Amino acid sequence: MSFQEWFKREFMVPRRLVFNVLFYGLHLFFFIYGWHSQATNAKLAGLNTLKFSVWISRGAGLVLAFDGGLILLPMLRNIIKVIRPRLTWAFPADENIWFHRQVAYQMLFWSVVHTTAHYVNFINVERTQIRKETAQDIHYHQPGGITGHFMLLIMVLIYTTAHKKIRNQCFEAFWYTHHLAFFFMLGLFTHATGCFVRDIAEPDYIKTFPFYSTEHCLGYLSWRFIIWPAIIYFGERMYREFRARRATQLSKVIVHPSGAMELRIIKPSFKYTAGQWLFIQVPEVSKFQWHPFTITSAPEDKYVSVHIRQVGDWTHALGDLLGAGPSVVAELTRQAMKGQEKDEKEYGYRGDYLEIDPSTRRLPVVRIDGPYGAPAEDVFNVEVAVLVGAGIGVTPFASILKHIWYRQKRGNLGALSRVEFFWVCRDAPSFGWFQTLLQEVEAAQMDPNFLRINIYLTQKIGEDMLWNIAINDAGAEYDPLTLLRTRTMYGRPDWRTIYTRIRSAIESGQYLPGSKAQLRTTVGTYFCGPSVLGNAVRDAAMLARCSTVDFTFAKEHF
Amino acid sequence: MGNLIWHEWARLIALTAGIYAVWSGYFGIFYRKFFWDFVGGTLRDPGGMQAPKSAALFISVIVKIPLLQVFSMLLGATVVALEWPLPILKKLSIYRSLVLRPILLIALSLDTIFFYQGTNASLYAFVAALAYGRAIALGEEMPEAKENRGRAGRA
Repeated sequence: MSFQEWFKREFMVPRRLVFNVLFYGLHLFFFIYGWHSQATNAKLAGLNTLKFSVWISRGAGLVLAFDGGLILLPMLRNIIKVIRPRLTWAFPADENIWFHRQVAYQMLFWSVVHTTAHYVNFINVERTQIRKETAQDIHYHQPGGITGHFMLLIMVLIYTTAHKKIRNQCFEAFWYTHHLAFFFMLGLFTHATGCFVRDIAEPDYIKTFPFYSTEHCLGYLSWRFIIWPAIIYFGERMYREFRARRATQLSKVIVHPSGAMELRIIKPSFKYTAGQWLFIQVPEVSKFQWHPFTITSAPEDKYVSVHIRQVGDWTHALGDLLGAGPSVVAELTRQAMKGQEKDEKEYGYRGDYLEIDPSTRRLPVVRIDGPYGAPAEDVFNVEVAVLVGAGIGVTPFASILKHIWYRQKRGNLGALSRVEFFWVCRDAPSFGWFQTLLQEVEAAQMDPNFLRINIYLTQKIGEDMLWNIAINDAGAEYDPLTLLRTRTMYGRPDWRTIYTRIRSAIESGQYLPGSKAQLRTTVGTYFCGPSVLGNAVRDAAMLARCSTVDFTFAKEHF
Repeated sequence: MGNLIWHEWARLIALTAGIYAVWSGYFGIFYRKFFWDFVGGTLRDPGGMQAPKSAALFISVIVKIPLLQVFSMLLGATVVALEWPLPILKKLSIYRSLVLRPILLIALSLDTIFFYQGTNASLYAFVAALAYGRAIALGEEMPEAKENRGRAGRA
């Protein structure tokens, strides 16, 4: 990324600019304030003989306290879920993990500053003997030093295992080490109990909480302010535990030929809207792990379903437990391939799925927690909804499409009169279950113009595949790859052309029959997938704006 | 545990330790102190801890000449260059050696343990070395990077 692009992204986008000014401005403010209040405090004259190192360490310390208060805020998932719909204009609540990371980066930087300054502080305390102790005493015998070094070690473990690469390989490593945050927070709140910042020679400990007298221990007492998010977070975790323990029953497991397992769960107390996600736990696989999955059923369904592909160790273990191990999947896939090859009449047949129900096999206990994430209800406020799913980002649209279909049946579509669904992916066949779902939705369409499915395959196509397509595609009722009526398109979609076409079609009145030309039509784009593609789609949509057709864009982190 | 590729995790810890070692060595040049001077040392007022005579060797390579600190910076930089990696090193077959790394890291750990600022770097380098040890024990390998045959930016 060139400097110009970076500058444009960080400073030319108003919302980003406001964030940057506020976020980094506050950090700088706390640093300067911390520095200033230390340097000008007459009571701390003794400490101030250490000069710059103590000013820097105190400034950075205050910044770190601020970060410690911020770091848990984006993790208050239930509270965010409640306030999000009301505050979408103010801050992008969907970007909570991103914010969590920004705070973490700041924490790392200021930790380096704070620790470096303290190393200088303590060696100078020892040399000048303004306090009768050695540097090692402060580092390893006093609460401030001990908690500090522990927090640094915990940070090394948390940061390294949270790296994208490691997290994708082994979610457990990430998940378990991240819970060291509990001890990190304890360390943070007790960091000042050693009473390093004091106006007398010896620390002034007392018998009652907080075990040091605030008369002589002159720290910022920041823990009084920043402990609240931690307490709320703890309460939220307790609430999640309670909610997860409410009656839940795994009613049915369906194994799709591609190896995806569909878990149908019945939990009456679980209310959700289309496009949200949940955490699932299977105690027999792992007692402590919660794994996030997108909900694939619609709220109208009597069950909650998730589709789980067997890719990681947890999902594999779950597959074995449910009797959907590798051998079962291989057999299903083999049958599906056979079915596809032999029977011309049954063209469009993708092999049967296998149903595992409680009468034949005891199903394990599952617990679910949620729902979380953005509801996609605003789809019904626009006339035309453009749904763009890229790669694995297509999963929330399963629920949304089903939900739209249910509402279509009830004749309760709100303003919505057309849906354009785009699915951009590298290789469609790996999402066999989603194709099955699309097939159902496509087949159920009464109005051929309501839902249009556009599938773009971006992978490089080998010669064999090319011939296969050429032979099977011509004149066939179904697309040879996806078995949908819709033809697959190859290559990347040209978003600019797509949006321009939509606009001109609306303007000429062909697209939305009966729509009044003088009314303003809104075309809402809902995107889920990698941000590079998201930006391209957004730019194209914004370019197509005109006086009669308004284009909106929403990127969802389901 | 799971599908954790230990040497990829160890790399991140090693990078942390390497950067820490460079930074601590740099500060160690300005504030020279033998970490273990409290063992049998005497506390002077002012002046701080004075190491016993038996530690004269360490005093000469840490306090009189900051040899260990400079060495820590060099070794730390080497670890970072190997782990980041530096483009020149990436082509060498030694870059893919999983045995070389723990050796470097243990050396770094032994070096940084002796001066005041280096003890955390020493701990992290040791953790990284252990993780590499686990990677070797599990028979992990660093495969040769695939040549980029397709042209980027074209589907």
